[in-house]
Amino acid sequence: MRGNVVTNSVKLTDVKKSFNGHDVIKGVSLDVQKGEMVVFVGPSGCGKSTLLRLIAGLDTPTSGQIEIAGNDVTYAHPSKRGVAMVFQSYALYPHMTVADNIAFALKIQGLPKAEIDAKVRDVAEVLQLTHLLKRRPKALSGGQRQRVAIGRAIVREPDVFLFDEPLSNLDASLRGQMRVEIARLHTKLNATSVYVTHDQVEAMTLADKIVVLNAGRIEQIGAPMELYRKPANLFVAGFIGSPRMNILGAKVRSSSGEAVTLDTPQGVLAIPRTGAQAATGASISLGIRPENLHVAAAGEEGHLSGYVILIERLGGETFAYVTLKGFDGEPVILKLDGEAQVHNHQEVRLTVDLNRAHLFDEAGLAVGVSPDFADKTDGSGHVQ
Amino acid sequence: MYNNKLIGSLYVTPFVIGFLLFTAFPFVASFILSLTDARLQDQLGAAQFTGVANYTGMVADSTFQKSLGVTFAYVFITVPLKLAFALFIAVVLNFKLRGIGLFRTAFYLPSILGGSVAIAVVWRFVFAGDGLINQGLGSLGIGGVNWLGEPTTAMFSIVLLRLWQFGSAMVVFLAGLKAIPEDLYEAADLDGASRMKQFWMITLPLLTPVLFFNFIMQIVQAFQEFNGPYIITAGGPLKSSYLLPLMIYEEAFKYFNLGYSSALSWVLFIIIAIFTAVAFWSQKHWVFYAQDRGDDKGGH
Amino acid sequence: MVTATIDTGWRKHLPVLNAFLRYGILILVGFVMIYPLLWMIGGAFKNNAEIFSSIGFIPKAPTTDGFVNGWKTSTEYSFATYLLNTMKIVIPKVIVTVISSVVVAYGFARFAIPGRKWLFALLMATVLLPKSVLLIPQYLMFREFGWLDTYLPLYAPQAFATEGFFVFMIIQFMRTLPLDMEEAAVMDGCNSFQVLTLIVCPVILPAIISVALFQFMWSMNDFLQPLIYLSSVEKYPVALALKMSIDVTEATSWNEILAMSTIAIAPSLILFFAAQKYFVEGLTSGAVKG
Repeated sequence: MRGNVVTNSVKLTDVKKSFNGHDVIKGVSLDVQKGEMVVFVGPSGCGKSTLLRLIAGLDTPTSGQIEIAGNDVTYAHPSKRGVAMVFQSYALYPHMTVADNIAFALKIQGLPKAEIDAKVRDVAEVLQLTHLLKRRPKALSGGQRQRVAIGRAIVREPDVFLFDEPLSNLDASLRGQMRVEIARLHTKLNATSVYVTHDQVEAMTLADKIVVLNAGRIEQIGAPMELYRKPANLFVAGFIGSPRMNILGAKVRSSSGEAVTLDTPQGVLAIPRTGAQAATGASISLGIRPENLHVAAAGEEGHLSGYVILIERLGGETFAYVTLKGFDGEPVILKLDGEAQVHNHQEVRLTVDLNRAHLFDEAGLAVGVSPDFADKTDGSGHVQ
Repeated sequence: MYNNKLIGSLYVTPFVIGFLLFTAFPFVASFILSLTDARLQDQLGAAQFTGVANYTGMVADSTFQKSLGVTFAYVFITVPLKLAFALFIAVVLNFKLRGIGLFRTAFYLPSILGGSVAIAVVWRFVFAGDGLINQGLGSLGIGGVNWLGEPTTAMFSIVLLRLWQFGSAMVVFLAGLKAIPEDLYEAADLDGASRMKQFWMITLPLLTPVLFFNFIMQIVQAFQEFNGPYIITAGGPLKSSYLLPLMIYEEAFKYFNLGYSSALSWVLFIIIAIFTAVAFWSQKHWVFYAQDRGDDKGGH
Repeated sequence: MVTATIDTGWRKHLPVLNAFLRYGILILVGFVMIYPLLWMIGGAFKNNAEIFSSIGFIPKAPTTDGFVNGWKTSTEYSFATYLLNTMKIVIPKVIVTVISSVVVAYGFARFAIPGRKWLFALLMATVLLPKSVLLIPQYLMFREFGWLDTYLPLYAPQAFATEGFFVFMIIQFMRTLPLDMEEAAVMDGCNSFQVLTLIVCPVILPAIISVALFQFMWSMNDFLQPLIYLSSVEKYPVALALKMSIDVTEATSWNEILAMSTIAIAPSLILFFAAQKYFVEGLTSGAVKG
């Protein structure tokens, strides 16, 4: 591979990792293209941080291969991989000034002092840290520390930036601000980045490509909107999107070329779906995002009915929790306008954007694609 | 990096070498010596194997029995008194008052200096016939006591030197007290528990890990006391302050009986081992650990 | 701070009573605790007659006779020799103790070492093991090495982290450090030794200072080891010199001995006041965090 034009910056091939006989990563293969921002997302314990540490070289895989910029680095020293990492805790050296923190890696490399100084100055400029260079980490705010941590990574001019939940120690407003800043830097530096987070908002907003991990396996890889529109399975459907997608249990009544017809406790519901296969009588899960459920207008019959049990007014939008008649399980959530006229204990009829509904079979895999999203593609993602 | 066993082993190698050379080997050698009649001035090769004769000999050695009794008396008096006093003062100190730091310093200082020859020398003068204490008593019209010349009072003087050094135990207690969350007391206040009840029901149980630590350290140190009695009383009068470490030293370096001295040191070791073993064994019945202690695992 | 008002219930007075009681106990105990030290220092500036006649610690007619005569000592060497000898023992001892303890503690605190639990148990056992069990074989061993009447037996073993207490103290400190920081250093290109020297050591400096100070004090106070290993008076440290001086001059010149005792504890005293917090931290790290 060496010498050729390499388009993939990071390539994992069937990477596995176990700690004390416990499998944490159960075989992950992945390509990260040059200049891409790839976000690993998943619940805690899904292995996303471990995977990042394997790429960083802080841990070595039990089996499999890791390539960075075309070189096999599976067992290379972390500093010899062309990667730089931004840690969740920032991991700044408390006894060094900001300038020394940023310069540290270059000093270890043994670069001449003048060159180090110039590079540190440039990085400080980019991150607006120039006036803080003489300070120690203790005297910095959370956001400033975060920027130093990023500066420490940038100064090394790595092939790949690794971010390990870099924003989770910041408060909410600063987190939003830093998120924008990281996105801006990523574009500006034309850098390849791998970013780990448990926050799906960060994943949606930052990623060119999201990798959803669960229990050491990749559930789906794709562009943010692609995962949102075409979740490959129930796990991804539940994980991406907030509030979560509503999942209703039903049975397949019949399936034709154009629609899958469901038997629900509230009667028959036909979900338009081209070319979907579903065995009659099989259990099936109907997935409806909160914004695809609406209160039926007066006189309109609607698809479902139930009672409002709780209303959360966030100002710009309103979440209504509705218990559907005859359905088991949790109430469904509706995302309504901020001024929506609903009240507690109200009986409501609901309409469903049937063209945006999702179907999942007994194994949890998606059944066909919602018609509204069928021909939309976004980015280079693919369903695995 | 931290899972590299080879590099890790390299870092602990000095300890392993030091342990083998300066601890494990002498430890075993000392036991072997204790089964011989080795003498300091002779070649080791000249020593005869005498079996357990050194140990059985102790039964008939009245000096040993005296020394053993004195050692137990010294430990049993100093350790509880010192711990109780350290705890009492720590509780008094654990209060937001002006100048509390100054008192802590004053109480801690003696335990830093107390082991030194200089302090032992001062102690000898304080308890001397015309020393500080007798002068003080004299000014009150009380006749002087021959502190270092009477068995009971000689022991008293070296016991007092140890009690004087209660500061280190106190500092540990104080840190333990400060680690007890304030809201426990506030909750107890709301429950109507009296101060006394709070001490017995909250403070003491939560302090047991620290008490355990102090107890072990004090036992181990008290059994090894040497400087004080050696310099102040030289073990006298009538061997009334002749602690085992003094006897071990004198048997070896004054009477040159290496074999017997080694046997004595093994007796001391076994006594300390029994005490610490019992303490560790019993801790599950009385030591209360508020949180699970972090497991003994670093790195990945 | 607290003001009492008459017309409220008696409980209002509790804080005052409480503070009063506490101060009372503390002042009383503090006075008794410190008096021997004051008496020693005061006595060093008195003449002998006054030492025997007054229990006050402030000298009525201060004199430096005690220092002047005491400094000459009853031997052919001045007290300066003994002070210098002490430093020749203590300084190397502190240095090798710190280095070996830090290196070994790093291994224990961070690395997956085969048999680590056992090694750690042995380390802790050395804290509890009475030194007198090792005394005679160590003496014979150093005699074989030809180290008698040199300072080597006094500090060479410390180069091998033989003081388990210090290693344990540093391990406790290291465990409180976030691993992230060391991993960041690895990513920045450090090997483990560079992580230790460039990152870990500066950060645990307080613990290192604690170890250095404790070892300094203990070595200053050490008496038994020099007593056994040193036979030439010219090599005596202060501890032995003081003991020798009371054997020789006790009856007559207390002021000289008190003066030399004062000088003997002066370094420890100064260090203690200058760095008290390190003593407290060092002592409590083992007990409270453990």
